[in-house]
Amino acid sequence: MINWNGKRRWVALILLIAGILVMLTVPPIIPVIQLPGEKYPGGGDGFHMTNSLMGSVLVWILLILLAFYINRKMPKSGDEVPSGGFYNLFEVLFEGLYGFILNIVGQKYMRFIFSFFMTILLLVVLSNWLELVPVVDSVGFLEPHITRDATTGAITYEAGYETTNSGGIYVLNPKCPWVSPTDALALTADAKADRASKGCLTGTNAAVAAPAPVVATESPAAAATPIANATEVVGEAAGVTTNTGETAGTTAPAAEHEYAPGDPSVPWVITPYLRSPSTDLNFTASLALIAVIMTQVLGFRALGISYLTKFFNFKTLFSSPLGGIDVAVGLLELIGEFAKILSFSFRLLGNIFAGSILLFVMSFLVPFLPWPFFILEFFVGALQGFVFGLLTAIFMSQATAGHGEHHDEEHEITEVTADNPVEIAPAH
Amino acid sequence: MEHSVLFAGKAIGAGLAMIGALGGGIGIGLSVGGAVQAMGRNPDFASTIQTNMILGVAFAEAVAIYALVVSLIILFVL
Repeated sequence: MINWNGKRRWVALILLIAGILVMLTVPPIIPVIQLPGEKYPGGGDGFHMTNSLMGSVLVWILLILLAFYINRKMPKSGDEVPSGGFYNLFEVLFEGLYGFILNIVGQKYMRFIFSFFMTILLLVVLSNWLELVPVVDSVGFLEPHITRDATTGAITYEAGYETTNSGGIYVLNPKCPWVSPTDALALTADAKADRASKGCLTGTNAAVAAPAPVVATESPAAAATPIANATEVVGEAAGVTTNTGETAGTTAPAAEHEYAPGDPSVPWVITPYLRSPSTDLNFTASLALIAVIMTQVLGFRALGISYLTKFFNFKTLFSSPLGGIDVAVGLLELIGEFAKILSFSFRLLGNIFAGSILLFVMSFLVPFLPWPFFILEFFVGALQGFVFGLLTAIFMSQATAGHGEHHDEEHEITEVTADNPVEIAPAH
Repeated sequence: MEHSVLFAGKAIGAGLAMIGALGGGIGIGLSVGGAVQAMGRNPDFASTIQTNMILGVAFAEAVAIYALVVSLIILFVL
C-alpha cells in the first residue's frame, strides 16, 4: 500500500495540470442536452433501449456484486473479526444508518421499513454517482444531428461538430463547430482563413463540404425513414472502421448508408452509451411508485381495514359539530398520497438532472478546474439518495401510526420512545 | 428569425420560471436557522431536530426543484 501522507496535495496539482492540458488540447464541448433518455440506434418503433436504462442495468449489476461481496466477507461466527477495509466501511455505514432509522420508526416494523430504506438509498446513491464517472455521458454512438420532416423529407441541420478520425475512433472536434454551406457564404474571408488554420473542413474557402444529399430524388418511403434507422451503420462504425470508402460528395446514397461516419456534409453529435438513470423520469417515477405503494401496503398490514379511515373519515360527521372538517382533512390526505409520488420523482430528477447539466456547463466554462463541482455533486448525490430513503421511512412509519383515536396502548409507548417526529402521543 | 424569437421566448420563460426558487431559498433558510437555534438551546435533541430539519428542507426544496424542472423542460423539451 502507498503511504498517502503529504502526497494528496500533489494529486490535486496533477489534476490541475491535467485540466490545463485538456483545456489546451481538447477543450470540452457541451453535449446535446435532452430530458428523456436517448434512444440507442435501431430497435424499431416499439421497444427502445435507452442509455439511462443501460445505466440502471449497470447499477443493478454493481449492487448485485456488492451484495455477493458483503455476504462473502461477513463473519460467519460472532468471534471472528471481519477483514477488508471496504467491508468495514460498509458495516460502519450500515450500523449507523440502522441506529438512525431505528430512532425514527421504532422496533416493530423496523425490518420492513429498513429494507426499503437501505435498498432505495444504495440504488439511488449509486445511480446518482454514475454521472461523476468519466466515460459516462461522453462516449457513445456517433450520429448526424439532423431532423427530418416525416412527410416532406426535408432535412433541418442542428448544431453539431466536425469529427477527427484517429485510428477508427471518431472524436468531435471542439475547434470546428459545423457550418452549413449557406451559413458559410456569410462568413468573412478572415473567419474562413481562421477556420482553415484550425483544420476545419466546413466554412472554409476550400469548399470541401459537399452540398447536402438530394432529398427530392428519394422515394417517399426512404425519406420518411426514422432517424434512428438511418444512423444504424454509423453507430457500428463508431468503434470499428468500416464503410469509410464513401467520401463527401457522393450523391444521394441509400437511406441506410446515408452518411459515412465523420462525413463533413452533416453536423455530428454523440449519443452516450451510458447516462445516470436518475436523470430519467422513468427511473425516479417508478421508484416513487414503489415507495408510495409499499407505504400503503404497510399501512394496511399495520392497521388492517381501519387504515382507510385515515382517508375517508365519516365517523364524526354527525356526532361532532366540526365533523365536516375531518372529512375534508381525510380527502386532503388522500390527495397528499398522490402528491408524494410527484414530489418524490421530481425532487430526485430535478436535482440530478440539473447537477449533470451543471457539470457539463462547468466543464465547458472552466475546463481546467471542474472538479470542485464534482465534489459538490458527490455530496448532492449522497444527500438526495438519503433524503429519498429517509422520506420513505418516515412516510411508512406515519402510515403504521394510524389515526390518533384508535391505536392500542402498547403501540403508543413504542411511538413515544422512538422519538417519532409525528406528534401523536402527547395528546393522550 | 422565427427561430431566434422562439429561443428568446424560451430563455425568458425559463428565467421567469426560476423565480419560484425564491420561495424554496427563503424556506430553507428559515427552517435551518430555526433548527440551529433549537440545537443551540438544547443540544440533547440535536439528532431529532436534525431529522425534522432535513425533512422540512427536503419539502421546501421540492418547490424550488419544481421550478427548476419547469425551466429545464422549457429549455430542453419544448
